Amino acid sequence: MTVLETKRLSSAADLARVRAELRGRRDPSAKCVRVCIGPGCAAKGSTKLYDLFVQAVGEAEADVEVEAKGVGCHGLCERGPIVIVQPGDIFYQRVEEPDVAEIFRETVLGGRVIERLLYEDPATGEKATTADEVGFYKAQQRIALAQNGVIDPTSIEDYIEAGGYAALAKALSSMTPDEVLSEVERSGLRGRGGGGFPTGRKWRSCRDAEGSPKYVICNGDEGDPGAFMDRAVMEGNPHVVLEGMVIGAYAIGSSQGYIYVRNEYPLSVERLRGAIERARDMGLLGEDILGSGFSFDIRINRGGGAFVCGESTALMASLEGRPGEPRAKYVHTVESGLWEKPTDLNNVETWANVPAIINRGSDWFAAIGTERSKGTKVFCLVGKVVNTGLVEVPMGITLRQIIEDIGGGVGDGKAFKAVQTGGPSGGCIPAKHLDAKVDFDQLTELGSMMGSGGMIVMDEDTCMVNIAKYFLDFLQDESCGKCTPCREGIAQMRYIVDRITHGEGQPGDVERLEELAELLEGTSLCALGKTAANPVMSTIRYFRGEYDAHILEQRCPAKVCRGLFLYEIDPEACKGCGVCAKNCPEQAISGEKKAAYVIDQEKCTRCGTCFDKCPFTAVLKV
Amino acid sequence: MPTVTIDGVPVEVETGATILDAANKLGIWIPTLCYHPAISPPAVCRLCMVELDRGDWKQLVTSCNYPVRRDIVVSVSSERAVRARRGVMKLLLARAPESKALRELARRMGVDGTPYPTVTQSQRDCILCGLCTAVCEEVLGRAAIGFAGRGPDRAVAAPFRQPAEDCIGCGACAAVCPVGTIQIRIHEDTNEIEISPFKTRAKLLTCEQCGRRIVSVPVAEEIFKKLRVDWEELRQRARLCPECRRKLTGATLGLATKSAGKA
Repeated sequence: MTVLETKRLSSAADLARVRAELRGRRDPSAKCVRVCIGPGCAAKGSTKLYDLFVQAVGEAEADVEVEAKGVGCHGLCERGPIVIVQPGDIFYQRVEEPDVAEIFRETVLGGRVIERLLYEDPATGEKATTADEVGFYKAQQRIALAQNGVIDPTSIEDYIEAGGYAALAKALSSMTPDEVLSEVERSGLRGRGGGGFPTGRKWRSCRDAEGSPKYVICNGDEGDPGAFMDRAVMEGNPHVVLEGMVIGAYAIGSSQGYIYVRNEYPLSVERLRGAIERARDMGLLGEDILGSGFSFDIRINRGGGAFVCGESTALMASLEGRPGEPRAKYVHTVESGLWEKPTDLNNVETWANVPAIINRGSDWFAAIGTERSKGTKVFCLVGKVVNTGLVEVPMGITLRQIIEDIGGGVGDGKAFKAVQTGGPSGGCIPAKHLDAKVDFDQLTELGSMMGSGGMIVMDEDTCMVNIAKYFLDFLQDESCGKCTPCREGIAQMRYIVDRITHGEGQPGDVERLEELAELLEGTSLCALGKTAANPVMSTIRYFRGEYDAHILEQRCPAKVCRGLFLYEIDPEACKGCGVCAKNCPEQAISGEKKAAYVIDQEKCTRCGTCFDKCPFTAVLKV
Repeated sequence: MPTVTIDGVPVEVETGATILDAANKLGIWIPTLCYHPAISPPAVCRLCMVELDRGDWKQLVTSCNYPVRRDIVVSVSSERAVRARRGVMKLLLARAPESKALRELARRMGVDGTPYPTVTQSQRDCILCGLCTAVCEEVLGRAAIGFAGRGPDRAVAAPFRQPAEDCIGCGACAAVCPVGTIQIRIHEDTNEIEISPFKTRAKLLTCEQCGRRIVSVPVAEEIFKKLRVDWEELRQRARLCPECRRKLTGATLGLATKSAGKA
């Protein structure tokens, strides 16, 4: 890592000079090991790998110059920990501690590729040497995540060298606030946090609103189950968020910003805090930024763990030190937000898109995507898919491309059933709509939504009624309880769905759910309540048959809801070991040793013990 | 002044007035529970929903806090608005099935009962409208009670669910409670006032002449602190009717800055 002397930059030219200096020092053939220390890889022990590489670098011969670098999330978390060796961009996956010495000796010093650690395409068996050759990356287009996995998130020099803060310098030195605003408006950028409101229009409303001071907020309270896009950006490239915010503040006319980060992301807080300090030291944040006369500073506030604080008015209440509960938005937050002052709030990913738009222009950005959804979107591809991880794709890509080409399809030879997008406010989209284009309007039309970018793939073993119950449970826990429909309505819906999954559903239950859904949508105070019924409504819309099977036949087609399917012993597979009979709490299984056992369905309580205990998977769900 | 047209009838209101204000001016009834003129509307009971005509689309809004800033067209009696209000009422009835006041209001709205079972009840017959906590904080400046818990577990409580030290036993919470859940109990034996269900008690001040109970001792102390004797003012007051005198006293004590309200 090249460390600059801490020096305040006093102009755009100053910044350009420093960047040229940093690039000049960089030897293109320099040896570098980039270890992913993003959330997924770190969970698999990559920080230890990083330490080992640093140690290996330290112990290397004096004339060997190698750099070991901890970088943000690469995306292919399924194959983590990921290590990339330069030169050559050699992409190693599932690296373990014993591999470090070998990588260092063979690849770093010897320049030889270790075949064993390369990615192998599960379908074709072809090996990929670089990330570009991996199917997972081929269909992706990275704007928000462009520097993720490349730069060291703790190094402002890395960011500057990669072109960081150039957009800020351009905006401050050669554009008026109005020109910045128009550029963002023309780009067609829409809010990436869920609502999809045009960012430029929001900025302009805030700029035009009466009152001062004006505040700018970054919403980093990411809370959807299975979603970690914003975390990856905050931890992998914190400066891009800061740069976006300073540009936005310049356009809006704000001098104070806040980043609201959920408390469960301590590393995000640490990275952002470090980035803010370094940016301040270098005159890229704080008083008189780059000698332009424009001043703007940022504070970090940590959330308290409430999902509803991702909602703008609840977030602002929490920032003010009050309970994180939403309020009516008949007067918009751009007019009266934080401390009743004009406030612009954007999501982490939205801010991260801003520098690229200023650098490359609105025409470039607007050329990506569909007519009404421009640019790219980051998704967290999780669930029953081969390549789980973080993907950034152009708007307008089909769900099929994301799930099959990038995600590698559903694993274990199972059939695809549905994909859940948009988090708890979203819905489940079935196979027949896999060719739908992914953009704000299409997903809404399908009864789901873009949301912040969670994408949970489900296979044939998923019970859709049970999924609806899962989301209702989540929302019931996370409802603040302030307004009647959300507090009472979700509880009533959950009560009905719960009894359906227990085989106690009554004819008319689906209609009751629909009635409650309409009530919640129309009368709830905030978006959490208004959209709370989406998971239920979308599963009813596409999987009505499963609800009917549960209610009318007391049968769970996916064989998930306990008690709504039978266990049987496959006489072909049964080896007659007797483990099932020994463990059955109801003595419902009988048979002779070395002959097939039989379950007495009269006595069986469908507890599933035999299924769990059978060493030969001879117990079947039917 | 902007014009609000409700169910086809126009009325002019001040900018910033609410749809409910306009409806009141026209004598059109919209059911409310968490609304009280003395406090800022929390808009949480969602009972006062009306349908706002935005030209190309219609939106349900709460009339108690929707600010009128330009000419708008509103429907109180549209099918969707009525269904929304009745739906909310059915949810409330499931929560507080034993409240007479709530059942009475429901009947007035044309709701005979609820199809829903009681699945949430953190507090018996409390609909969590928040009037009590708001009056305690905004009007009395005490904040002796507040909300505890979240979601279905939300409940009105004093800190740590113990008798609140900040409660002065004024009974304002009981007075504003629209469903009669908060009750004032007088304990003759100990000469105390109890605010139920918060279990806070305060000694009562009794008339030195006849022994009749007047007000709780802490409330009296609060008043004595603020009271000063001014003969000229007393003379002025003597010229007022009891109602106006009460209003003036309230204003002097800095209490009823907004409105005395129905309490």
